[in-house]
Amino acid sequence: MTTLAAQAPGASRPRTTVRPSSFGRLVAAEWVKFRSLRSTWWTLAVGAVLMIALAVLQTWGTSTIPDDIEFPNLSGAVFVTGGAFLGQLAFCVLGVLAITGEYSTGMIRSTFAAAPRRLPVLWAKLVVIFSAVLLVSVLAVALSWVGSMPWFDELGLAIDLGNSDDLRIMLGTPLYLATATALAFAIGALVRHSAAGLAIVLGLLLVVEQAFALIPWRPLEVISPFLPSTAGSRLTMDAATQQMMDAGSDVATLTPWQGYGVLVAWVVVLLALAAVLMRRRDA
Amino acid sequence: MIEATGLTKRYGDKTAVDGVSFTVRPGMVTGFLGPNGAGKSTTMRMIVGLDRPTAGHVTVNGKPYAEHRAPLGEVGTLLEAKAVHTGRSAYNHLLALATTHGIGRKRVDDVIEMTGLQAVAKKRVGGFSLGMGQRLGIAAAMLGDPRTLILDEPVNGLDPEGVLWVRNLLRHLASEGRTVFLSSHLMSEMALTADHIIVIGRGRIIADAPVGDILAGAQTTTVRVRTPQADALTHALRTQGATITALEQDLLEVTGSSAPAIGEAAAATGVVLHELTPMHGSLEDAYMQLTAEEVEYHSTPVPQPGAPGRPGAVPSTAPNDTPTEGALR
Repeated sequence: MTTLAAQAPGASRPRTTVRPSSFGRLVAAEWVKFRSLRSTWWTLAVGAVLMIALAVLQTWGTSTIPDDIEFPNLSGAVFVTGGAFLGQLAFCVLGVLAITGEYSTGMIRSTFAAAPRRLPVLWAKLVVIFSAVLLVSVLAVALSWVGSMPWFDELGLAIDLGNSDDLRIMLGTPLYLATATALAFAIGALVRHSAAGLAIVLGLLLVVEQAFALIPWRPLEVISPFLPSTAGSRLTMDAATQQMMDAGSDVATLTPWQGYGVLVAWVVVLLALAAVLMRRRDA
Repeated sequence: MIEATGLTKRYGDKTAVDGVSFTVRPGMVTGFLGPNGAGKSTTMRMIVGLDRPTAGHVTVNGKPYAEHRAPLGEVGTLLEAKAVHTGRSAYNHLLALATTHGIGRKRVDDVIEMTGLQAVAKKRVGGFSLGMGQRLGIAAAMLGDPRTLILDEPVNGLDPEGVLWVRNLLRHLASEGRTVFLSSHLMSEMALTADHIIVIGRGRIIADAPVGDILAGAQTTTVRVRTPQADALTHALRTQGATITALEQDLLEVTGSSAPAIGEAAAATGVVLHELTPMHGSLEDAYMQLTAEEVEYHSTPVPQPGAPGRPGAVPSTAPNDTPTEGALR
């Protein structure tokens, strides 16, 4: 640490090539940032492992239930994507930290000095984290499928990607997970504080949405179907599950894509709010 | 070139920067000097658009910072040590910044070498010392080979060799025609590095002048004289129009005269001298005179044994270049 280059910079060397900042370069830079943190790989791995382990365990566990016990007739795709709820917790942590980590360490000032228009940074980060979670969860769903296969025959399960419902669940689950991560990212960008962001996102997923669904008080019952995860996760359910959930309910029932649309609307509104504040607030 | 006009920043009803206007010119090192809380950092943050001015505007190389297509090629910034994610390595931090402007890995390696970070470049920044963090910040500022450099307290936490290196680097960059703007609360450091000094206190510009002018303002010479015949000497000097303060029974402080003149007067009247010491007003003195009214956080004066009378004055044989902020009062 005590040796410094004696020669000062700039002495008889060509000037460094500096190109204009562009969105593509910002995405590339955000990818460098994303891949160069250990926490990225840990959270992605935890999310994927949870998804795979739960799917396999659920399939195996069901196969050990004696034949004479009545069991709902679920589709194979639901078994294979059964770990998504737990997996999303890890991905949402990643989503929050992707932005709050920059604020808590001061990195955001370096980031904004390099991209003073700020908003392209928000979109570039979103592109990177959305794509990464989408890719990892597609992979996790595929591995869950492979891992669960040994018990498919015994349970009479099958997944046919030619069947539109099966295809929707198998690809909709990764899509839902990536969008839920985007929601967590938007909340992180709004509160700019890791602990607060994590508390809000996990509180929403684990407490608020569950409570709204369970408390038999009319206003909560009416709102419940439109909460982000409750609505969005309908994309990952088969017809049997949806019927089971909607049985006896007199509030709005959303189709899978309507539900996903509601989640997307949440993300859009929160991101728009985060964008306005990001431009306005001092870094 | 940095041009600020009426730049103002208020936080609630507290005014951090109060309508400052100044120009930082290329080809020289401009120091931005002021006590803690004077508004230096806020001003610098407004220049690069991190803080939004409440009023006024500022341009860098002719445009607001955010309007440059390749900002890192225009302005290199070191705003505070460790504006870096602690979990990322120094190399990847620099690579991420470089990638935003299509700057190659070669340049990343270059700035790492330039700042002497080779040995720790692949280590995570969380474990860096303050000095290493500063070097990394300087490396980041140099990435785009910018025409203008804005450095907030760049020598904080550096060892003496690092301080010297930064000083030489900045002087070299200025000699290449670049604009170099650095802040410090240390007048002594500024005197060695800067050509021009802007002094800020409580959000207002107090002085904006070449270093020489600021120094000249502080050159009131005092001579300390120790003699067993204090009364006789006092009488002799008074007739010459000097002002004498008796600090102790045998110790006088003389202003309005010079050491040779006092020596000659003593010889002429047959007075024995035990000590004859010219005391120069130091840079720190000049700075403190300028900012005396503008210090945000006053500390309680600490009695200084061995330095009675004017507390900031020091014997010229021992130049006061130990930079301590505690000297502010």
